Amino acid sequence: MSTLIMIDQPPYGAWTGREALDMAFSLAAFDQPASLLFTGAGVNWLRQAQEAGGIGQKSVEKNLSAAPIFGIEAIMADRSACSTYGLDENSLIEGVTLVDADAALLTNYDHTAFAG
Amino acid sequence: MSETTSETFTLVITGAPYSSQAPQTALGFAQAAVEAGHRIDRVFLYGDGVHLASALCAPPSDETNWSEAWSQFLADHSVPGVACIASALRRGLANETEQKRYELPGANLRAPFEIAGLGEWVEGRIKSTRTLYFHAGD
Repeated sequence: MSTLIMIDQPPYGAWTGREALDMAFSLAAFDQPASLLFTGAGVNWLRQAQEAGGIGQKSVEKNLSAAPIFGIEAIMADRSACSTYGLDENSLIEGVTLVDADAALLTNYDHTAFAG
Repeated sequence: MSETTSETFTLVITGAPYSSQAPQTALGFAQAAVEAGHRIDRVFLYGDGVHLASALCAPPSDETNWSEAWSQFLADHSVPGVACIASALRRGLANETEQKRYELPGANLRAPFEIAGLGEWVEGRIKSTRTLYFHAGD
């Protein structure tokens, strides 16, 4: 029973992305297989060297780096969204797999969820 | 007559009342599901959805009070309603335990809603035959 948590919101304009990450970590903490897929503006979560201090927030990079420790199976980013936001292998944080976020990908999971 | 399989549902509401239709749509679904012989295992409020559990919602008298309507449904059908603790505390929703813990000036959780962790969602997702999400849709 594998779950795909999708994050389609940018990291600092809304709290839903952080709450989606908590959902994924919570699944993993209860030994439920979980993966993360970043799509749309959500791929900005995966940008290297974010400096969120300027807006009084903490960088989400640190939250994300905990994913392997919690046992999140995969961190995926939609290839076309990355292209839209000017992100490539050199500007993405480590451990991200580029995928095509299409119907075929979703068949690998029996449950998908957004935080909002 | 066609045979229908009885389902058990976990409903997750992430949209707040009055800023989204999520609680209303979810209640309509829940009532229809129960009438059709299905069971609602639990309702989990997440993100902005926790505002549904506020005892302080007081809309004009000619509008539906969705917090009250949901409380009534939960009580009538003995369905547990759980607000995520992290979402709730961020948004100013507390029961008496959390009021004491954080030394807050009041508690505003409407019975029979309870406050608990995301583990309630994980458990519902495992135990129910279906988990449905009601988002704000923005």
